[in-house]
Amino acid sequence: MNLSLVEYLWLLVLMTTGTLLTRSLFFMVGGSRRMPDWLQRSLSHVPAIALAAIIAPDLLMVQGALIEPWLNIKLISALVATIFFLTTRHMLGTLVVGMLCFTALRVWL
Amino acid sequence: MTSPPTEQTYSAERERAAFFDAIRTSTQTMPGLFTWGVVTGAAMMQSGLSLWQSLLMTLIVYAGSAQLAALPLLAAGAPIWVIAFTALMVNLRFVIFSAVIGPHFQHLNWRKRLWYGYNTVDLVMGFFPQRFPAHTLGKPAGKQGYFTGLALSTWLTWQLGSITGMVLAQQIPASWGVGFAGSLALLAIAIPLVKNRPTLVGVAVACTVAVATVHWPYRLGLVSAMLLGIATAVVTEQRMAKRSETS
Repeated sequence: MNLSLVEYLWLLVLMTTGTLLTRSLFFMVGGSRRMPDWLQRSLSHVPAIALAAIIAPDLLMVQGALIEPWLNIKLISALVATIFFLTTRHMLGTLVVGMLCFTALRVWL
Repeated sequence: MTSPPTEQTYSAERERAAFFDAIRTSTQTMPGLFTWGVVTGAAMMQSGLSLWQSLLMTLIVYAGSAQLAALPLLAAGAPIWVIAFTALMVNLRFVIFSAVIGPHFQHLNWRKRLWYGYNTVDLVMGFFPQRFPAHTLGKPAGKQGYFTGLALSTWLTWQLGSITGMVLAQQIPASWGVGFAGSLALLAIAIPLVKNRPTLVGVAVACTVAVATVHWPYRLGLVSAMLLGIATAVVTEQRMAKRSETS
């Protein structure tokens, strides 16, 4: 990737607008207006789904192709990290365990 | 500004006390937040952004998970609008934050409300509603001070961490695979967001579609995966609600 200055500035403007729009929305719209329940429930699904769509190809594929899961060191490390997170709920520890696993597999295999 | 002067002096003291209270409360989360900033800063540099590009993005966009989400797309050369759309999707959780915190600040002018909104980060959502539950609406005392304390300590800790990460990243060889730390960070953000079955079903659909459409041009596969995943989650939720009504 090599962003031109114009592309970079566009990205900066759009992403900043995104931050402002989402975080300020109910600060800006009037007084007692509340978010309908169904909308709140629908919105609550979106971030996890968006993140999953980004991560999945990264973890499941190697250079754009599905490979056997037991040969995919990123996938194995991510699974170990997931199990660690589900048992401890510790975000940074999850990162450390995942990276240690990844590095160990990368060096020894 | 309609209150008499004596009450205002009293209130200024109260805001100051609330401010320091918030600083004290947030110290426990600072080491974690700092390290998280380091990871994000380093990941930005590793994805090919220059130092000043990373710096400006951190200082202005100021949304760690959206920045992390943008990085693999940037590295893959996705179009700007796809990256911005993805960042917006990840940021949508903030709409819920703003719905909880925003009503407490309706007495301020719009510029202040925009500024407070911009600063409604995870730490604010984590601590503010505990101290000021919904029944304190309409009683503004202490809220600005408390909010500012949380927001300021978050901003400083996060930015210091990010800048440290950017500087460190220049010393780390690419072969260490720090880019993968970015993926793990996204994973650790995503897992606790999966709180019920409809979200989980949506996540499964999104993963499948994202993998199946990975070769589509302009990363349109990613956008399709998100939209199909969201649609599935919403439909699943409605079905579950109907089923529990009839049973």
